[in-house]
Amino acid sequence: MGEREPVPISGMHAVSALGRGADAQLAGVLCGAPAFRPVRRFDTTGRRVTVAATLPDVGTLSDELADAIDAACRAAGLHPADRADSALLLATHGGPISQPGPFRADRPVDPVDGSTGGTDGSTDRRAQAPGGPQVPALAGHLARRCGLGGPTRIYTSACVSASTAVADAAAMIRRGDRERVVVAAGYLVEPDQFALFDAGRALAADGAVRPFSAGRKGLLLGDGVAAVVLESAEAARRRGAEPVATLHGWGRAGDAYHPCQPDPAGRGLARAVGAALGRAGLPAAAVGYVNANATGTGYSDASEAAALRLALGDLADRVPVSSTKSLHGHALEASGLLELVVTVLALRHGKLPVNAGWLGPDEACPLDVVIDAPRPVGSPYALSLNAAFGGANTALLVGAP
Amino acid sequence: MSAGSATPRLLAEARWPEPGDGDPPPLPGFVHSPFHPLVAAVADRCLTRRYGERPVPPGVRCAVVLASAAGDRPSAEHVRATVAAGGRIGPLFFFQSVPNSVAGHVAARWGLAGPVVCLSPTGDPRADVTAEAELLLHDGDADEALLVLIEQASDGAPTGAVAVLLGGGTSP
Repeated sequence: MGEREPVPISGMHAVSALGRGADAQLAGVLCGAPAFRPVRRFDTTGRRVTVAATLPDVGTLSDELADAIDAACRAAGLHPADRADSALLLATHGGPISQPGPFRADRPVDPVDGSTGGTDGSTDRRAQAPGGPQVPALAGHLARRCGLGGPTRIYTSACVSASTAVADAAAMIRRGDRERVVVAAGYLVEPDQFALFDAGRALAADGAVRPFSAGRKGLLLGDGVAAVVLESAEAARRRGAEPVATLHGWGRAGDAYHPCQPDPAGRGLARAVGAALGRAGLPAAAVGYVNANATGTGYSDASEAAALRLALGDLADRVPVSSTKSLHGHALEASGLLELVVTVLALRHGKLPVNAGWLGPDEACPLDVVIDAPRPVGSPYALSLNAAFGGANTALLVGAP
Repeated sequence: MSAGSATPRLLAEARWPEPGDGDPPPLPGFVHSPFHPLVAAVADRCLTRRYGERPVPPGVRCAVVLASAAGDRPSAEHVRATVAAGGRIGPLFFFQSVPNSVAGHVAARWGLAGPVVCLSPTGDPRADVTAEAELLLHDGDADEALLVLIEQASDGAPTGAVAVLLGGGTSP
């Protein structure tokens, strides 16, 4: 494959509280109505915050991931032989989290008789029972179930897990390791991570995510399960596949600053953006939209604004920016893939999603934030940014096909 | 995954424990589990063998690739038990709830400005992290990569750690 040839994305699928499938994600982010509501899936008594963006009807994480992989492979038009050649890179939480599900109308479904119950002690037991194979066995299970015969790898890099997997998938394809890689990622809101984020006072006590806005209070969690198929341009051409988008560039860089806080100067994220532009062979002026990492957290959003200023210079005043986490919530390990899918959908449709929750400008975030209504796409290239604990940063530069 | 065209060089290697070691020193800001002190101790030992003093030389972008099958299992089990009993979790558990945190501690302490990647190995752990490091070096986001592998008992309890420093990447 050519040194700078873009990597086609030939199929994708996503599930979030905005709904199931690509159309639901697009309609949800263009509608601009946040999907946060009271958590009913598990007991939130004693928590400071009791809302999240959850789907009322959802399977186990394992089942949802398998469905997403199947849907993305179907969308890509992959035959069984194509699948058999594909690697699987999976992004999910690395520990023995309490995987919920299945749920119907927010209530745990009895795995035997299909009945539902409340969130009292008797049903908590069911809700916290393992919902399928756990890491690391989960990757092999999904590969077998979905007919993916290539190698597997599991990324547990917190909120850059999925975006790192996408970058690595593209690097593997460009290096010639594989013709095709399926990247899948999943997080479903569950009681342990919810309690941890609540204990860390990371959740927005006012029940809204307000990225880059004055008065922002923090993040809110959200369900997110997604899968994308990346393949070499040659393999896509050979199959007669029509890409839904192309990955032009990617970058990963560390802050070397703090275990949990981002570098206030945004140097690591800026280097990730620079690497993505460099691999794409594109100038900063080509970027027509940034789907920001912005979680609605005070210092973190300001750091990202500084990173954009560092990476894009004065163009940071003019590039439309929004964070779709304000609509679908923070899907943690899956956030990078859900947001990449949303970014691709917006580019293809020609409208940029709003940054919900806006109360007014914050002088620490001097950016052109998309508020009030979706804006027309002005350039076919967009950045999807992610950052995580550990000072980990990624940038994915995607373009309409 | 298959290896790149150039095999990275082994620059340094360390274990914890090595003969004469006891428990690794406590790590301020991290509680309850040996996971984080093990990572910090073995990383310090490996990087000290290569560079002597902190930080790494300017211009060396070193990645951190941390592998553990089950993550910080002792802390995760404490959180699960506390939540199931309707209790409150201490805020430090939030800050150490992902392996990135201690990887970021090492990166900040030594000035490692390359990518931070955590994996749950699906095959041979050393082969998995080496393949990831080779990819990062080949792709050009890192010049060197510090690999840390946590060894765990069957119940997930961390028992030791290995650190390997690899170098020899190419530019994008």
